[in-house]
Amino acid sequence: MAHRDEPNQNPSDPHDFERRLNAKLEARRAKEAASNPSGWGQGVRYGTEFAGGVLVGAGLGYLTDQFFNWSPWGLLVGVLMGFAAGTLNVVRAAQSMNQSDDASS
Amino acid sequence: MADATNPIKQFEIHPIADFSIGGWNLSFTNSSFFMVTSVVLVAGLLSLAMSKRALVPGRSQSVAELLYEFVAGMIRSTAGDAGLKFFPFVFTLFAFILMGNMLGMFPYFPAPGFHGFTFTSHIIVTFALALVVMAIVIGYGVFKHGLKFFSLFFPSGVPWPLYILLTPIEIISFLSRPVTLGVRLFANMLAGHILLKVFAGFIIMLGSVGALGVLGAVAPLIMVVALTALEFLVAFLQAYVFAVLTCIYLSDALHPGH
Repeated sequence: MAHRDEPNQNPSDPHDFERRLNAKLEARRAKEAASNPSGWGQGVRYGTEFAGGVLVGAGLGYLTDQFFNWSPWGLLVGVLMGFAAGTLNVVRAAQSMNQSDDASS
Repeated sequence: MADATNPIKQFEIHPIADFSIGGWNLSFTNSSFFMVTSVVLVAGLLSLAMSKRALVPGRSQSVAELLYEFVAGMIRSTAGDAGLKFFPFVFTLFAFILMGNMLGMFPYFPAPGFHGFTFTSHIIVTFALALVVMAIVIGYGVFKHGLKFFSLFFPSGVPWPLYILLTPIEIISFLSRPVTLGVRLFANMLAGHILLKVFAGFIIMLGSVGALGVLGAVAPLIMVVALTALEFLVAFLQAYVFAVLTCIYLSDALHPGH
């Protein structure tokens, strides 16, 4: 904060101001993006991401059973795929949250 | 008596004006009333706040500008500057959900029937909003990138036989997005309002027991006051989360393939 009091070396250059302003804004944005949501919110996010994957997988499996008469194989494969998709969702959610953490440090 | 303490009764839908086309019940309900109120309030308050268009904003104008900056900053940090073309959509979505959640915090409201209603506590509303988001993501992605948009389902840097396994998983993961987006908002609002009503019901039940009951009713009363504050936080937070995830999904439509 000390350089705020220093005289500007080149006051006639408007780009200098622009650049300094952008640097400040950039730093502020990074800090704001990192501000963590609450623990409850994070937990609910992971939970619904996983449950959503399993539910959609099971639903698709059930529908293929209905249409192609593959019972019970469609549901079996669908649920397993759903678990994989749910895990993928959770990993992605965790990655995106960690990224915003790293941006601040 | 049972009606007064029934925690589910607040979610009931009552038709205000009966209306149907070809056997489809399209009545104007209390849910529709609150949606219209939400839209009118957001549009009216924002245009009232911005009516002066002062260079140095007054109190109401700075609130409106704060809201604008908040949503713009959110889009910039998640979808980049290219995401700003979706600003009108994300801002509308955020303001609509936020106003709906906040209107739901009124126990009594000058509406037909005279009681409050939270339209975001119905899964069909939140799921429809989530489907609109996904329709825009898919529509814009295909319009902008053509078939390359579907490279979303083929993660790069993988030997091709694995696509047999990975592509269905990616498709399920993509299809689960509107489900999680809708369910999260719905579940938070539903659970919060039931919890409020259950604790408020304890006050009435204990209060009808006698002098000792009235004394005991102080504990749930404190709980209800604390929960109301928490619910205001949840009402804002869930509107924010919905908007942020919309931005993240929109950034997939802008830059597919990573």
